[in-house]
Amino acid sequence: MTDLWFALPVGVQDAAIALALLLPALGIGAVALRGFRVGPLLRALLRRQAWISVVFTALIAVSVALGAALIAQERGLREGTARAAEKFDLVVAAPGSEITAMLAAVYLQPADVPLVDGETYAEIVAHPRAELVAPIGFGDSWQDAPVIGTTADFAAYLSGRLAEGRLFARPYEAVAGARVDLSVGETFQPAHGHGDAAQEGMHDVDYEVVGRMPMTGSPWDRALLVPIESVWEVHVLPNGHGPDWDRVPGPPFDPAHFPGTPAVLVKADSLGGTYVMQAAFTDGETMAFFPGTILARLHALMGDIREVMSILAVITQVLVTAGVLAGLTMLTRLLARRLALLRALGAPRRFVFALTWSYATTLIVLGAAIGLGLGIAATGAMSAAITARTDILVEARLGWREVHLVAGFVSLTAALALLPAWLTMNRPVMSDLRG
Amino acid sequence: MPGAALEIEGLSVRGARGRALLDVPRFAVAAGTALAVRGPSGAGKSTFLHALAGLVPAAAGAVRWDGEDIAALPEPARAAFRRRRVGFVFQEHLLFEELSAPENAAIAALYGPRAGRDAVHGRGRDRLAELGLDPGETRRSDTYSGGERQRIAVARALATDPAILLADEPTASLDRANADRLADELVRLAHEEGRTLVAVSHDPALHAVADRVIDLADGRITEDAAP
Amino acid sequence: MHRRHFLTLSAAGALAAPAALRAQAEEPLQLRRLYTDDRDFSETARSLEGDRVLFEGFMAPPLEANSTFFVLTKMPMSVCPFCETESEWPDDILAVYTKRVYRVAPFNRKIHVRGELELGPYRDPDTGFLSMVRAVNATFDYA
Repeated sequence: MTDLWFALPVGVQDAAIALALLLPALGIGAVALRGFRVGPLLRALLRRQAWISVVFTALIAVSVALGAALIAQERGLREGTARAAEKFDLVVAAPGSEITAMLAAVYLQPADVPLVDGETYAEIVAHPRAELVAPIGFGDSWQDAPVIGTTADFAAYLSGRLAEGRLFARPYEAVAGARVDLSVGETFQPAHGHGDAAQEGMHDVDYEVVGRMPMTGSPWDRALLVPIESVWEVHVLPNGHGPDWDRVPGPPFDPAHFPGTPAVLVKADSLGGTYVMQAAFTDGETMAFFPGTILARLHALMGDIREVMSILAVITQVLVTAGVLAGLTMLTRLLARRLALLRALGAPRRFVFALTWSYATTLIVLGAAIGLGLGIAATGAMSAAITARTDILVEARLGWREVHLVAGFVSLTAALALLPAWLTMNRPVMSDLRG
Repeated sequence: MPGAALEIEGLSVRGARGRALLDVPRFAVAAGTALAVRGPSGAGKSTFLHALAGLVPAAAGAVRWDGEDIAALPEPARAAFRRRRVGFVFQEHLLFEELSAPENAAIAALYGPRAGRDAVHGRGRDRLAELGLDPGETRRSDTYSGGERQRIAVARALATDPAILLADEPTASLDRANADRLADELVRLAHEEGRTLVAVSHDPALHAVADRVIDLADGRITEDAAP
Repeated sequence: MHRRHFLTLSAAGALAAPAALRAQAEEPLQLRRLYTDDRDFSETARSLEGDRVLFEGFMAPPLEANSTFFVLTKMPMSVCPFCETESEWPDDILAVYTKRVYRVAPFNRKIHVRGELELGPYRDPDTGFLSMVRAVNATFDYA
């Protein structure tokens, strides 16, 4: 049986779970409505209480939408942050906090970290399994865009193909990220530091933008990539090369003139090679880490929060529905005379029960369905807001998880709706009939 | 359709705090009789009618229709009794305003047994036509005049082909001409179709055409006579 | 009549066979038991190909978050499985493709992986990783 379950494709499993979650509601419905035609009276009821029905449905819809959008957002954020880190297999940095180093090197969050020296850098380059090694020198900025010192090879690796122009070939040329407000041919002057702490005019040089990267969906879309040599020079440091340098930026660097880099990106020849190099450069001198692993750990933490959020979302939805059901119970007092009339005419008590239950459940199902639709819209809006703030492309979409959440919600509240239905069933016919 | 014979024995209905609402030691009506019930307000007329339909629980006694004591039945069985044997006409027609006339007339098809649904629809339409209403009309029933609405209510009461017709002030909300017409119609249903009619009414026109009139006061029958 | 009896028996046999294998597979399968001494696939490996098999080991820290792939190693990753051998495919690791995006396990927690055994070379189109043995459609739990 379990083997059969595992043999099913993911989509079929998800659909089966959704169905299983809906089953209680369907079961209650089948039993409650058996042998009756509530349709015409249900429509009459909805028409009579049109405004109240709309308000109650809207309340349910909004609470369902918010819950679904929040959960979808968490998944979108996970996918987005993972995509942004995709190219960063292995990062070598001076020992310290892996998370700080990852946030700085992958997500370009400014941080003060110790440097990897020239000897170590040369060792990494010389490792037999190394395929691409590049310094990532952060610290400067232009307006809000981080200016990153690196190599042309890294810029090529990160962008695949440039959207426009060419890679930098001279020290004071730059490649701009897709969201940087500079076009090819324009120049900029970097400031030392970031944000409010940035000191303008400290670096009296002009960079010329010679190329633009395509959209990567990562914070690098906001970055300006420049030759690491120019960053060193701007800070009045050796430029990584000997005195007879031809001023064409890029490797090989001379360890004796290498001032250091806060992080080194490494791409090894294979997955095995990546593990080998990680092992090789994890020692007292350096730390080597997989950004993906650290991110996965953060995601696991986020997953815990999501579990709590899911529960909170369901609780909120159930509370809203409980409020709506309480409202419906009061509403049924308004309907009491018509329900009593049905009883007087000989309708079974169960028919009145079925009618009230299906009225409540119609609002619930309608609200849940509209809520899912609203959730899609809310998800899009929230994703756009997160993308605008973090530059991490978040494309959250409603998935099966949200459908499951909503299906569970429908079943739970359809069961709760039995209570007001039961209350109406037991009202005194005679006094209700008198109105 | 043979009407049903009514026999009441030692019936007592009590309200809140044990107040006696109805006290009928012995009362019988032959099948096919048109009976009018009159009395001042608060005399227990509605309670009497509801007791005949099994809508109020009896503290003691028996209400037998064709020998079956409905006071002794549990609620589901009493509902089934109403469904199968009783047609109700209320003072204020009490229709489902959002539904059309034919839908109201055939309301019993929504909760009655599946097998009888077509018959209910058919009888509802026939009765509407008999009463001078268009059985193909789809507009909401609250667009009809008061007299028309009461006729829809009569069609609804007859759609299940009941042996017993219970009416609570059926002519009260009608003008004279409509009231007279309805009173004649109800009595005709007893005389020509053999249904037992019990109509609570203070309308002298209805008393005049009924076979028998009883007076209620303080939950007791004080007068019982042919008009 | 006899024919029907025969059919019933063979149907029962067909049902019993995988059940026996499953019972056998409840003990985690040692990764080395998949190979013969000359690094060919063993009889055990070939007989279990396509079945859901239980493995035990440690999750190597994944290079990518939010993925459906990881490497199962015999020892915790502090001991690098690729370091002691020249071969691209050490015989004490297993490529695991999970059914859904998985939640990363700490590298030093022992896990039980259950997945359909796949044999033969396969190069992952995304990572370029070449694997010889895989557990696909896998799920895992802490041991």
